[in-house]
Amino acid sequence: MTERNELTVIKLLPPLSRRLLPLAVCAAIAIALVFLRMAPAAESSPPPAPSTEDPNAPCLGCHGDSELAMTFPDGEALSLSLDEEAYRQSVHGDKLNCLDCHEQNRRYPHPLPEVSGRREYAQAEYELCKRCHFKNYTLTLDSVHFEAMSKGFAYAPLCTDCHTAHTMTEIRESRTQIAEACSKCHRSIYEEYASSIHGSALLEENPDVPVCTTCHGVHNIPSATTASFRLGSLDLCAGCHANKELMDKYGISSNVLKTYLDDFHGKTAGFYQKEPSEVWPETPVCADCHGVHDIKSVDDPESQVIKENLLATCRKCHPDASANFPSAWLSHYEPSLDKAPLVYLVKMYYRMLIPFMVGGLALYIMLDLWRLARNR
Amino acid sequence: MTEMHALKESKRETHEPEDFLRFTLGQRLEHWVLVFTFFALVVTGLPQKFHDAALSIWVIETLGGIDNARLFHRIFATVFVFESSFHLGAIVVSALQKRFTPSMIPAPRDFRDAFDWLRYSVGLTSQRPHFDRYDFKQIFEYWGIVFGAVIMIATGLILWFPTYATRFLPGEVVAAAKETHSGEALLAFLIIVIWHFYSVAFSPDVFPLDQSMINGKISRERMIEEHSREYARLTGIKGAPPHPSEQSTAGGSSEQPPNGPRGAPRQTDPR
Repeated sequence: MTERNELTVIKLLPPLSRRLLPLAVCAAIAIALVFLRMAPAAESSPPPAPSTEDPNAPCLGCHGDSELAMTFPDGEALSLSLDEEAYRQSVHGDKLNCLDCHEQNRRYPHPLPEVSGRREYAQAEYELCKRCHFKNYTLTLDSVHFEAMSKGFAYAPLCTDCHTAHTMTEIRESRTQIAEACSKCHRSIYEEYASSIHGSALLEENPDVPVCTTCHGVHNIPSATTASFRLGSLDLCAGCHANKELMDKYGISSNVLKTYLDDFHGKTAGFYQKEPSEVWPETPVCADCHGVHDIKSVDDPESQVIKENLLATCRKCHPDASANFPSAWLSHYEPSLDKAPLVYLVKMYYRMLIPFMVGGLALYIMLDLWRLARNR
Repeated sequence: MTEMHALKESKRETHEPEDFLRFTLGQRLEHWVLVFTFFALVVTGLPQKFHDAALSIWVIETLGGIDNARLFHRIFATVFVFESSFHLGAIVVSALQKRFTPSMIPAPRDFRDAFDWLRYSVGLTSQRPHFDRYDFKQIFEYWGIVFGAVIMIATGLILWFPTYATRFLPGEVVAAAKETHSGEALLAFLIIVIWHFYSVAFSPDVFPLDQSMINGKISRERMIEEHSREYARLTGIKGAPPHPSEQSTAGGSSEQPPNGPRGAPRQTDPR
């Protein structure tokens, strides 16, 4: 195999030349570019870059072996074999060669990474992705995951933990894959989610339900325990639940945000949202009544907001609530003669009385002014 | 209010200003406490009704957030409840001491007055109705405030203590109380701002401001014009002779006993 020979050639070069080789290549390209019409490739083809041949072949010579593995000082083993077929299927398959990422392994024998175990090795390699994916890398710096990493949590996710190292696919094409990626660490939450109305629909390939990233964001995942996330969650839910077209598809009211914001709890939350200071809103937001990851359909007997369970839900905040208390909340309905007729009648009474009264008073004032004008 | 100045014929003719005491210091203080609590409740309350309006957001922010606004609202509501109780208590005490004058109690006469006032306003008659201490508008406004206060206090308490209220009442009552509290508040606010402000400030009769709730005084001229029956009662002199209408209508009816309470002359119906 000629590639083998080339590798040997590199190896046979004196160490200094080997170190200078990349420099020489660059210099050669630069010179070539100066002489515009000249073909740069022809000028700068010292041993390693035959463009017609598969540049990964030398690597796969060893790493195609499924038995190839290494052991870290802490005793952990790492398989060093690559399933070439799987790699070719990945998004990088037709774009990147081994050395594009594993640049340091151009040398042979490869330099041993100065790490004690697998995780440390992954962390040492973690910043490789940012050479191309700088924007997403930067976004991760604002995430809870990076915060955990910067506090020294070894298992804070790296790019490869979600995307894998060699078999990454266009992840947004498979929404179930997103949930599964998160589930690797957030197992119990995934299970809650999978049993929820959203999660169970996702598993049935429903394209409309939210997956983890819909609410939590992708690379710059914020903490979900801050006041701003709590208040922002209203708009997260409303993003779909106030969308009439989408809700009509499932026969769900798209009026839920408006009816919430018009009532006591929602008004409070609405004002909190507009306040500049970040105060933890004690007032309930969507998730406090409906659940977070375990949201059930309002027809589900396990739903926290179904009539039978509503009192218990109210009592989370109003411990002395009696059986009558939950119906003080109109369940996202606008008052009407069917739903809450008393409220509807009061509303109509003032809707008619106020204009009537104001009109009458205005008429009185006009008559009075007219009288005074006549009498003067 | 019997310490009113005695009236001298000479002064009447020269139109020298002579004031009557209309409101005692206690009544004036009570009024301004009510003004202050009413507007404090409006400022802390109406932004909750119109929660989307830019002005509401500004007000709530200026008050230091919705929780503060609600706290202030409840503090002023408590003041309002005490004020209302004081008012009621004072009436009860005065009744027990047999000092109570039913000047605010509506009588059939007030409805006739309202009708006559309408006819007078549109020019169907040149006869201005004679009013006692409070005219029909003032009586209407007073009872509007009384009923409004009862409604606001009752619904406000339901909203303040919803878990307690729903031990006795259906839950829907809480939602209805909210709607009532909100509607009644707007109604009261508009009546005060449109009508009361017109009557006591913007009306050409009193512009720029009726001072009687500040210094307690009302001029003799206005007494004759606006409260002729009270004037007659207090002075023993039949008020409002300048009114041509007085002469035009049967003069006999104007010879009322000065202290005769209600049942003053009813104008002849022109129809």
